[in-house]
Amino acid sequence: MSLDRLYLDLLDEAPVAPPPGGRARLLATAAARRRPAADCVSWARPYAGRVAAMDAVFASATAWDVEIVEGWHLQELLGHLTAKDGLVAAAVGAPVHGPPITDDEAMARTAALHAHERSRSLLETRRSWRDQADALCHALAGADPARVITAGGLRLPVGDQILGRALETWIHTHDTAVSEGLNLPRPTAAELRPMADLCARLLPMTALLSGLDAGDRSVRLTLTGDGGGDWHIPLLPTKRAAGYEGQEVALSIRADAAEYCFVLGGRGAGHEWEAEGDPALAADLRAAAPVLSGP
Amino acid sequence: MDDHLFHRRVVSGDESALGELYDRFSALLYGLALKVTRDRVAAEDITQEVFATFWERPLGFDPSRGSLRTFLATVAHRRSVDHVRSEERRRVGALAPRLFERPHDLEEGVVAADEVERVREAVVGLPESLRQVIELAYYGGRTYREVAVEIGVPEGTAKSRIRLALRRLAETLNEEAP
Repeated sequence: MSLDRLYLDLLDEAPVAPPPGGRARLLATAAARRRPAADCVSWARPYAGRVAAMDAVFASATAWDVEIVEGWHLQELLGHLTAKDGLVAAAVGAPVHGPPITDDEAMARTAALHAHERSRSLLETRRSWRDQADALCHALAGADPARVITAGGLRLPVGDQILGRALETWIHTHDTAVSEGLNLPRPTAAELRPMADLCARLLPMTALLSGLDAGDRSVRLTLTGDGGGDWHIPLLPTKRAAGYEGQEVALSIRADAAEYCFVLGGRGAGHEWEAEGDPALAADLRAAAPVLSGP
Repeated sequence: MDDHLFHRRVVSGDESALGELYDRFSALLYGLALKVTRDRVAAEDITQEVFATFWERPLGFDPSRGSLRTFLATVAHRRSVDHVRSEERRRVGALAPRLFERPHDLEEGVVAADEVERVREAVVGLPESLRQVIELAYYGGRTYREVAVEIGVPEGTAKSRIRLALRRLAETLNEEAP
Protein backbone atom coordinates (compact mmCIF):
# COMPACT_ATOMS: atom_id res chain seq x y z
CA MET A 1 0.00 0.00 0.00
CA SER A 2 2.79 2.46 0.82
CA LEU A 3 4.25 1.97 -2.65
CA ASP A 4 0.87 2.59 -4.22
CA ARG A 5 0.63 5.76 -2.18
CA LEU A 6 4.06 6.89 -3.35
CA TYR A 7 3.23 6.20 -6.96
CA LEU A 8 -0.04 8.07 -6.71
CA ASP A 9 1.56 11.01 -4.99
CA LEU A 10 3.99 11.17 -7.90
CA LEU A 11 1.16 11.31 -10.38
CA ASP A 12 -1.33 13.32 -8.38
CA GLU A 13 0.05 16.74 -9.19
CA ALA A 14 -2.34 18.06 -11.76
CA PRO A 15 -6.01 17.22 -11.64
CA VAL A 16 -7.52 18.09 -15.02
CA ALA A 17 -11.25 18.59 -15.54
CA PRO A 18 -12.48 15.98 -18.03
CA PRO A 19 -14.45 17.17 -21.08
CA PRO A 20 -18.06 18.18 -20.34
CA GLY A 21 -20.84 15.59 -20.60
CA GLY A 22 -18.85 12.87 -18.86
CA ARG A 23 -21.13 12.68 -15.84
CA ALA A 24 -24.31 12.09 -17.86
CA ARG A 25 -22.50 9.58 -20.09
CA LEU A 26 -21.25 7.72 -17.01
CA LEU A 27 -24.70 7.49 -15.42
CA ALA A 28 -26.16 6.07 -18.66
CA THR A 29 -23.35 3.51 -19.01
CA ALA A 30 -23.54 2.54 -15.34
CA ALA A 31 -27.30 1.97 -15.42
CA ALA A 32 -26.85 -0.40 -18.37
CA ARG A 33 -24.14 -2.35 -16.54
CA ARG A 34 -26.06 -2.76 -13.26
CA ARG A 35 -29.57 -1.46 -12.75
CA PRO A 36 -29.85 1.26 -10.10
CA ALA A 37 -32.31 0.68 -7.25
CA ALA A 38 -35.90 0.86 -8.51
CA ASP A 39 -37.52 4.26 -8.19
CA CYS A 40 -40.19 3.74 -5.53
CA VAL A 41 -42.10 5.14 -2.54
CA SER A 42 -39.91 5.97 0.46
CA TRP A 43 -41.15 3.10 2.67
CA ALA A 44 -40.14 0.54 0.00
CA ARG A 45 -36.60 1.93 -0.43
CA PRO A 46 -34.96 -0.55 1.98
CA TYR A 47 -36.28 -3.33 -0.25
CA ALA A 48 -35.20 -1.64 -3.52
CA GLY A 49 -31.76 -1.05 -1.99
CA ARG A 50 -31.30 -4.66 -0.86
CA VAL A 51 -32.36 -5.91 -4.30
CA ALA A 52 -29.70 -3.67 -5.89
CA ALA A 53 -27.15 -4.98 -3.37
CA MET A 54 -27.98 -8.59 -4.28
CA ASP A 55 -27.43 -7.65 -7.91
CA ALA A 56 -24.04 -6.17 -6.96
CA VAL A 57 -23.01 -9.39 -5.23
CA PHE A 58 -24.18 -11.33 -8.27
CA ALA A 59 -21.98 -9.14 -10.50
CA SER A 60 -18.91 -10.26 -8.56
CA ALA A 61 -20.01 -13.87 -8.04
CA THR A 62 -18.02 -16.57 -9.80
CA ALA A 63 -18.92 -19.84 -8.07
CA TRP A 64 -22.29 -20.33 -9.74
CA ASP A 65 -22.60 -24.04 -8.96
CA VAL A 66 -21.65 -23.93 -5.30
CA GLU A 67 -24.34 -24.58 -2.69
CA ILE A 68 -24.95 -21.34 -0.82
CA VAL A 69 -27.74 -22.13 1.65
CA GLU A 70 -30.54 -24.72 2.02
CA GLY A 71 -28.67 -26.85 -0.53
CA TRP A 72 -29.40 -24.20 -3.20
CA HIS A 73 -26.90 -22.76 -5.65
CA LEU A 74 -27.20 -19.21 -6.94
CA GLN A 75 -29.89 -19.87 -9.56
CA GLU A 76 -32.06 -21.75 -7.04
CA LEU A 77 -31.56 -19.03 -4.45
CA LEU A 78 -32.70 -16.40 -6.96
CA GLY A 79 -35.66 -18.67 -7.82
CA HIS A 80 -36.59 -18.76 -4.15
CA LEU A 81 -36.41 -14.96 -3.82
CA THR A 82 -38.48 -14.58 -7.01
CA ALA A 83 -41.03 -17.03 -5.60
CA LYS A 84 -41.54 -15.14 -2.34
CA ASP A 85 -41.44 -11.71 -4.00
CA GLY A 86 -44.08 -13.04 -6.41
CA LEU A 87 -46.42 -14.06 -3.58
CA VAL A 88 -46.27 -10.52 -2.16
CA ALA A 89 -46.66 -9.10 -5.68
CA ALA A 90 -49.82 -11.17 -6.19
CA ALA A 91 -51.21 -9.99 -2.84
CA VAL A 92 -50.76 -6.31 -3.75
CA GLY A 93 -51.98 -6.75 -7.33
CA ALA A 94 -48.55 -6.35 -9.01
CA PRO A 95 -47.49 -8.39 -12.07
CA VAL A 96 -46.25 -11.89 -11.19
CA HIS A 97 -43.35 -13.38 -13.16
CA GLY A 98 -43.05 -17.08 -13.92
CA PRO A 99 -45.81 -19.69 -14.02
CA PRO A 100 -49.23 -18.81 -12.51
CA ILE A 101 -49.42 -19.15 -8.71
CA THR A 102 -51.31 -22.30 -7.73
CA ASP A 103 -50.53 -22.33 -4.03
CA ASP A 104 -49.89 -19.28 -1.79
CA GLU A 105 -47.13 -21.09 0.10
CA ALA A 106 -43.43 -20.27 0.01
CA MET A 107 -41.89 -23.71 -0.53
CA ALA A 108 -44.50 -24.86 -3.08
CA ARG A 109 -43.97 -21.64 -5.03
CA THR A 110 -40.19 -22.05 -4.71
CA ALA A 111 -40.44 -25.57 -6.18
CA ALA A 112 -42.55 -24.22 -9.07
CA LEU A 113 -39.97 -21.50 -9.78
CA HIS A 114 -37.09 -23.97 -9.56
CA ALA A 115 -38.80 -26.18 -12.14
CA HIS A 116 -39.46 -23.14 -14.33
CA GLU A 117 -35.89 -21.76 -14.15
CA ARG A 118 -34.03 -25.06 -14.51
CA SER A 119 -33.98 -24.96 -18.31
CA ARG A 120 -33.00 -21.27 -18.40
CA SER A 121 -29.58 -19.68 -18.04
CA LEU A 122 -28.48 -18.12 -14.78
CA LEU A 123 -28.44 -14.70 -16.45
CA GLU A 124 -32.06 -15.18 -17.56
CA THR A 125 -33.00 -16.14 -14.00
CA ARG A 126 -31.19 -13.07 -12.71
CA ARG A 127 -33.18 -10.87 -15.09
CA SER A 128 -36.51 -12.48 -14.10
CA TRP A 129 -35.74 -12.08 -10.40
CA ARG A 130 -34.81 -8.45 -10.89
CA ASP A 131 -37.84 -7.77 -13.11
CA GLN A 132 -40.13 -9.27 -10.46
CA ALA A 133 -38.55 -7.22 -7.67
CA ASP A 134 -38.67 -3.98 -9.67
CA ALA A 135 -42.28 -4.65 -10.76
CA LEU A 136 -43.22 -5.07 -7.10
CA CYS A 137 -41.46 -1.80 -6.19
CA HIS A 138 -43.20 0.13 -8.96
CA ALA A 139 -46.63 -1.31 -8.08
CA LEU A 140 -46.38 0.10 -4.55
CA ALA A 141 -46.66 3.70 -5.80
CA GLY A 142 -50.32 4.03 -4.83
CA ALA A 143 -50.46 1.35 -2.12
CA ASP A 144 -51.42 1.95 1.50
CA PRO A 145 -48.57 0.54 3.64
CA ALA A 146 -50.99 -0.03 6.54
CA ARG A 147 -53.39 -2.28 4.59
CA VAL A 148 -53.18 -5.83 5.96
CA ILE A 149 -52.62 -8.56 3.37
CA THR A 150 -51.81 -12.27 3.45
CA ALA A 151 -48.85 -13.48 1.44
CA GLY A 152 -47.26 -16.89 1.80
CA GLY A 153 -49.47 -17.54 4.83
CA LEU A 154 -48.16 -14.48 6.66
CA ARG A 155 -50.74 -11.82 7.59
CA LEU A 156 -49.09 -8.41 7.92
CA PRO A 157 -49.52 -4.82 6.70
CA VAL A 158 -48.13 -4.20 3.19
CA GLY A 159 -45.33 -2.04 4.62
CA ASP A 160 -44.14 -4.85 6.89
CA GLN A 161 -44.43 -7.43 4.10
CA ILE A 162 -42.07 -5.30 2.00
CA LEU A 163 -39.65 -4.83 4.92
CA GLY A 164 -39.78 -8.60 5.37
CA ARG A 165 -38.79 -8.99 1.70
CA ALA A 166 -35.95 -6.48 2.27
CA LEU A 167 -34.75 -8.46 5.28
CA GLU A 168 -34.83 -11.82 3.50
CA THR A 169 -33.11 -10.40 0.41
CA TRP A 170 -30.41 -8.91 2.66
CA ILE A 171 -29.88 -12.19 4.50
CA HIS A 172 -29.55 -14.22 1.30
CA THR A 173 -27.27 -11.54 -0.17
CA HIS A 174 -25.13 -11.98 2.92
CA ASP A 175 -25.22 -15.79 2.45
CA THR A 176 -24.04 -15.35 -1.16
CA ALA A 177 -21.32 -12.85 -0.22
CA VAL A 178 -19.98 -15.20 2.47
CA SER A 179 -20.00 -18.09 0.01
CA GLU A 180 -18.07 -15.96 -2.50
CA GLY A 181 -15.63 -14.60 0.07
CA LEU A 182 -16.92 -11.05 -0.51
CA ASN A 183 -17.23 -8.41 2.19
CA LEU A 184 -20.83 -7.10 2.04
CA PRO A 185 -21.13 -3.65 3.65
CA ARG A 186 -24.09 -3.07 5.97
CA PRO A 187 -27.09 -1.21 4.52
CA THR A 188 -27.19 2.57 4.86
CA ALA A 189 -28.74 3.81 8.11
CA ALA A 190 -31.84 4.96 6.19
CA GLU A 191 -32.36 1.41 4.93
CA LEU A 192 -31.39 -0.41 8.09
CA ARG A 193 -33.50 1.60 10.53
CA PRO A 194 -36.92 0.43 9.19
CA MET A 195 -35.71 -3.19 9.02
CA ALA A 196 -34.42 -2.96 12.60
CA ASP A 197 -37.77 -1.47 13.62
CA LEU A 198 -39.61 -4.40 12.03
CA CYS A 199 -37.35 -6.86 13.87
CA ALA A 200 -37.91 -4.99 17.14
CA ARG A 201 -41.70 -5.18 16.67
CA LEU A 202 -41.50 -8.88 15.76
CA LEU A 203 -39.86 -9.85 19.07
CA PRO A 204 -43.18 -10.56 20.91
CA MET A 205 -44.36 -12.67 17.95
CA THR A 206 -41.22 -14.81 18.08
CA ALA A 207 -41.84 -15.40 21.80
CA LEU A 208 -45.49 -16.29 21.17
CA LEU A 209 -44.69 -18.65 18.30
CA SER A 210 -42.11 -20.41 20.49
CA GLY A 211 -44.76 -21.02 23.16
CA LEU A 212 -43.07 -18.65 25.57
CA ASP A 213 -45.49 -17.14 28.10
CA ALA A 214 -43.76 -13.93 29.06
CA GLY A 215 -46.80 -12.46 30.83
CA ASP A 216 -47.51 -8.74 30.95
CA ARG A 217 -43.89 -7.71 31.01
CA SER A 218 -41.87 -5.51 28.72
CA VAL A 219 -38.37 -5.18 27.35
CA ARG A 220 -36.17 -2.25 26.47
CA LEU A 221 -34.27 -2.94 23.26
CA THR A 222 -31.29 -0.74 22.44
CA LEU A 223 -29.84 -1.28 18.99
CA THR A 224 -26.45 0.31 18.42
CA GLY A 225 -24.60 1.46 15.31
CA ASP A 226 -25.98 3.13 12.18
CA GLY A 227 -29.72 2.44 11.85
CA GLY A 228 -30.11 1.67 15.55
CA GLY A 229 -32.49 3.11 18.15
CA ASP A 230 -34.20 2.50 21.46
CA TRP A 231 -37.51 0.60 21.77
CA HIS A 232 -40.00 -0.20 24.53
CA ILE A 233 -41.50 -3.59 23.66
CA PRO A 234 -44.46 -5.02 25.66
CA LEU A 235 -44.36 -8.81 25.32
CA LEU A 236 -48.16 -9.16 25.29
CA PRO A 237 -48.92 -9.40 21.57
CA THR A 238 -51.98 -7.19 22.01
CA LYS A 239 -49.79 -4.22 22.97
CA ARG A 240 -47.61 -2.24 20.58
CA ALA A 241 -43.88 -1.51 20.65
CA ALA A 242 -42.81 2.15 20.50
CA GLY A 243 -39.85 4.36 21.28
CA TYR A 244 -38.39 3.84 24.77
CA GLU A 245 -39.31 6.68 27.13
CA GLY A 246 -37.92 5.63 30.48
CA GLN A 247 -40.53 2.95 31.29
CA GLU A 248 -39.74 0.31 33.87
CA VAL A 249 -38.90 -3.00 32.18
CA ALA A 250 -38.17 -6.61 33.16
CA LEU A 251 -35.19 -6.76 30.86
CA SER A 252 -32.87 -4.49 28.87
CA ILE A 253 -31.24 -5.89 25.76
CA ARG A 254 -28.40 -4.25 23.87
CA ALA A 255 -27.11 -5.40 20.49
CA ASP A 256 -25.70 -4.06 17.23
CA ALA A 257 -28.61 -3.20 14.89
CA ALA A 258 -27.40 -5.31 11.95
CA GLU A 259 -26.48 -8.26 14.18
CA TYR A 260 -29.88 -8.15 15.88
CA CYS A 261 -31.63 -8.33 12.49
CA PHE A 262 -29.41 -11.28 11.57
CA VAL A 263 -30.36 -13.10 14.79
CA LEU A 264 -34.05 -12.82 13.82
CA GLY A 265 -33.09 -13.89 10.31
CA GLY A 266 -31.51 -17.08 11.66
CA ARG A 267 -27.91 -15.96 11.02
CA GLY A 268 -27.03 -15.05 14.57
CA ALA A 269 -25.13 -18.07 15.84
CA GLY A 270 -22.38 -16.63 17.97
CA HIS A 271 -24.00 -13.20 18.39
CA GLU A 272 -24.88 -12.77 22.04
CA TRP A 273 -27.06 -9.98 23.39
CA GLU A 274 -25.93 -7.92 26.32
CA ALA A 275 -28.78 -8.36 28.81
CA GLU A 276 -29.58 -6.62 32.06
CA GLY A 277 -32.49 -7.82 34.19
CA ASP A 278 -34.24 -11.20 34.23
CA PRO A 279 -31.58 -13.64 32.90
CA ALA A 280 -34.09 -16.48 32.27
CA LEU A 281 -36.29 -14.19 30.13
CA ALA A 282 -33.20 -13.01 28.27
CA ALA A 283 -32.19 -16.60 27.44
CA ASP A 284 -35.74 -17.54 26.40
CA LEU A 285 -36.13 -14.52 24.10
CA ARG A 286 -32.73 -15.10 22.53
CA ALA A 287 -33.58 -18.76 21.87
CA ALA A 288 -37.00 -17.85 20.42
CA ALA A 289 -35.77 -14.97 18.22
CA PRO A 290 -34.92 -16.94 15.02
CA VAL A 291 -38.27 -18.80 14.96
CA LEU A 292 -39.65 -16.74 12.04
CA SER A 293 -36.58 -17.37 9.90
CA GLY A 294 -37.09 -20.08 7.35
CA PRO A 295 -35.66 -20.68 3.93
CA MET B 1 -19.09 11.90 3.44
CA ASP B 2 -16.80 9.03 4.25
CA ASP B 3 -15.78 6.12 2.04
CA HIS B 4 -17.92 3.62 3.95
CA LEU B 5 -21.09 5.59 3.30
CA PHE B 6 -20.26 6.13 -0.39
CA HIS B 7 -19.59 2.43 -0.72
CA ARG B 8 -22.86 1.46 0.99
CA ARG B 9 -24.83 3.85 -1.21
CA VAL B 10 -23.27 2.50 -4.39
CA VAL B 11 -23.88 -1.11 -3.30
CA SER B 12 -27.53 -0.11 -2.62
CA GLY B 13 -27.84 1.08 -6.21
CA ASP B 14 -27.96 4.81 -5.41
CA GLU B 15 -27.07 6.54 -8.71
CA SER B 16 -26.69 9.93 -7.05
CA ALA B 17 -23.76 8.54 -5.05
CA LEU B 18 -22.02 7.63 -8.33
CA GLY B 19 -22.65 11.16 -9.64
CA GLU B 20 -21.13 12.64 -6.48
CA LEU B 21 -18.09 10.38 -6.80
CA TYR B 22 -17.65 11.54 -10.39
CA ASP B 23 -17.79 15.18 -9.27
CA ARG B 24 -15.25 14.47 -6.58
CA PHE B 25 -12.69 12.27 -8.34
CA SER B 26 -13.06 12.62 -12.12
CA ALA B 27 -10.45 15.41 -12.41
CA LEU B 28 -7.97 13.36 -10.39
CA LEU B 29 -8.49 10.25 -12.55
CA TYR B 30 -8.60 12.13 -15.84
CA GLY B 31 -5.47 14.13 -14.98
CA LEU B 32 -3.69 10.95 -13.98
CA ALA B 33 -4.73 9.04 -17.09
CA LEU B 34 -3.84 12.02 -19.30
CA LYS B 35 -0.39 12.24 -17.78
CA VAL B 36 0.34 8.58 -18.41
CA THR B 37 -1.32 8.15 -21.82
CA ARG B 38 -0.90 11.70 -23.23
CA ASP B 39 -4.09 10.94 -25.14
CA ARG B 40 -7.30 12.84 -24.32
CA VAL B 41 -9.65 10.28 -25.83
CA ALA B 42 -7.97 7.38 -24.05
CA ALA B 43 -7.88 9.31 -20.77
CA GLU B 44 -11.58 10.06 -20.98
CA ASP B 45 -12.40 6.41 -21.77
CA ILE B 46 -10.27 5.21 -18.87
CA THR B 47 -11.94 7.66 -16.47
CA GLN B 48 -15.39 6.47 -17.56
CA GLU B 49 -14.42 2.82 -17.35
CA VAL B 50 -12.98 3.08 -13.84
CA PHE B 51 -16.19 4.59 -12.47
CA ALA B 52 -18.47 2.26 -14.44
CA THR B 53 -16.59 -0.82 -13.23
CA PHE B 54 -16.75 0.40 -9.65
CA TRP B 55 -20.52 0.84 -10.04
CA GLU B 56 -20.99 -2.58 -11.63
CA ARG B 57 -18.85 -4.48 -9.11
CA PRO B 58 -18.58 -2.32 -6.00
CA LEU B 59 -17.57 -5.30 -3.87
CA GLY B 60 -14.19 -5.24 -5.62
CA PHE B 61 -13.45 -2.39 -3.21
CA ASP B 62 -13.01 -3.11 0.48
CA PRO B 63 -12.98 0.07 2.59
CA SER B 64 -11.10 -1.68 5.38
CA ARG B 65 -8.10 -2.05 3.07
CA GLY B 66 -7.62 1.52 1.90
CA SER B 67 -9.29 4.71 0.76
CA LEU B 68 -11.66 4.91 -2.18
CA ARG B 69 -9.54 7.68 -3.66
CA THR B 70 -6.44 5.48 -3.71
CA PHE B 71 -8.43 2.51 -5.01
CA LEU B 72 -9.91 4.44 -7.95
CA ALA B 73 -6.61 6.15 -8.74
CA THR B 74 -4.73 2.85 -8.62
CA VAL B 75 -7.17 1.22 -11.04
CA ALA B 76 -6.99 4.27 -13.34
CA HIS B 77 -3.21 4.15 -13.23
CA ARG B 78 -3.08 0.45 -14.07
CA ARG B 79 -5.48 0.86 -16.96
CA SER B 80 -3.46 3.82 -18.25
CA VAL B 81 -0.24 1.82 -18.14
CA ASP B 82 -1.99 -1.08 -19.88
CA HIS B 83 -3.19 1.31 -22.57
CA VAL B 84 0.31 2.69 -23.16
CA ARG B 85 1.81 -0.80 -23.30
CA SER B 86 -0.75 -2.11 -25.77
CA GLU B 87 -0.19 0.98 -27.93
CA GLU B 88 3.55 0.31 -27.79
CA ARG B 89 3.03 -3.32 -28.69
CA ARG B 90 0.85 -2.29 -31.59
CA ARG B 91 3.43 0.17 -32.94
CA VAL B 92 6.42 -2.08 -32.38
CA GLY B 93 4.44 -5.05 -33.64
CA ALA B 94 3.84 -3.37 -37.01
CA LEU B 95 7.55 -2.82 -37.53
CA ALA B 96 9.12 -5.92 -36.10
CA PRO B 97 6.53 -8.53 -35.22
CA ARG B 98 8.89 -11.16 -33.84
CA LEU B 99 11.68 -9.16 -32.33
CA PHE B 100 9.76 -7.63 -29.45
CA GLU B 101 7.14 -10.24 -28.81
CA ARG B 102 5.90 -10.31 -25.23
CA PRO B 103 3.60 -12.63 -23.37
CA HIS B 104 0.02 -11.77 -24.32
CA ASP B 105 -1.64 -11.53 -20.99
CA LEU B 106 0.71 -10.00 -18.51
CA GLU B 107 -0.72 -10.70 -15.09
CA GLU B 108 -1.65 -7.55 -13.19
CA GLY B 109 0.71 -8.64 -10.47
CA VAL B 110 3.59 -8.79 -12.94
CA VAL B 111 2.84 -5.30 -14.17
CA ALA B 112 2.63 -4.06 -10.61
CA ALA B 113 5.89 -5.76 -9.69
CA ASP B 114 7.54 -4.10 -12.67
CA GLU B 115 6.30 -0.69 -11.52
CA VAL B 116 7.42 -1.34 -7.99
CA GLU B 117 10.89 -2.18 -9.31
CA ARG B 118 11.06 1.04 -11.33
CA VAL B 119 10.08 3.12 -8.33
CA ARG B 120 12.57 1.33 -6.14
CA GLU B 121 15.41 1.99 -8.58
CA ALA B 122 14.44 5.65 -8.78
CA VAL B 123 14.41 5.89 -4.97
CA VAL B 124 17.86 4.30 -4.76
CA GLY B 125 19.12 6.91 -7.21
CA LEU B 126 18.13 9.83 -4.95
CA PRO B 127 20.69 11.77 -2.90
CA GLU B 128 21.04 10.37 0.62
CA SER B 129 19.08 13.13 2.45
CA LEU B 130 16.12 12.75 0.11
CA ARG B 131 16.23 8.98 0.00
CA GLN B 132 16.08 8.85 3.78
CA VAL B 133 12.82 10.82 4.04
CA ILE B 134 11.15 8.85 1.24
CA GLU B 135 12.09 5.54 2.79
CA LEU B 136 10.74 6.60 6.17
CA ALA B 137 7.53 8.12 4.80
CA TYR B 138 6.57 5.52 2.25
CA TYR B 139 8.34 2.28 2.96
CA GLY B 140 8.24 2.87 6.72
CA GLY B 141 4.71 4.31 6.71
CA ARG B 142 5.68 7.35 8.86
CA THR B 143 3.80 10.64 8.84
CA TYR B 144 5.58 13.91 7.99
CA ARG B 145 5.72 14.73 11.69
CA GLU B 146 7.22 11.36 12.63
CA VAL B 147 9.82 11.71 9.88
CA ALA B 148 10.80 15.13 11.25
CA VAL B 149 11.20 13.78 14.80
CA GLU B 150 13.14 10.73 13.63
CA ILE B 151 15.78 12.61 11.65
CA GLY B 152 15.81 15.60 13.98
CA VAL B 153 14.73 18.39 11.62
CA PRO B 154 11.82 20.86 11.80
CA GLU B 155 8.53 19.62 10.38
CA GLY B 156 8.65 22.16 7.54
CA THR B 157 12.08 20.88 6.48
CA ALA B 158 10.85 17.27 6.43
CA LYS B 159 7.87 18.31 4.33
CA SER B 160 9.92 20.26 1.80
CA ARG B 161 12.47 17.45 1.52
CA ILE B 162 9.71 14.95 0.82
CA ARG B 163 8.21 17.29 -1.75
CA LEU B 164 11.61 17.80 -3.42
CA ALA B 165 12.23 14.04 -3.41
CA LEU B 166 8.82 13.40 -5.01
CA ARG B 167 9.57 15.95 -7.72
CA ARG B 168 12.91 14.28 -8.47
CA LEU B 169 11.26 10.86 -8.57
CA ALA B 170 8.54 12.12 -10.88
CA GLU B 171 11.18 13.51 -13.26
CA THR B 172 13.16 10.27 -13.25
CA LEU B 173 10.10 8.10 -13.80
CA ASN B 174 8.72 10.37 -16.52
CA GLU B 175 12.05 10.21 -18.38
CA GLU B 176 11.80 6.45 -18.37
CA ALA B 177 8.10 6.35 -19.11
CA PRO B 178 6.88 6.44 -22.70
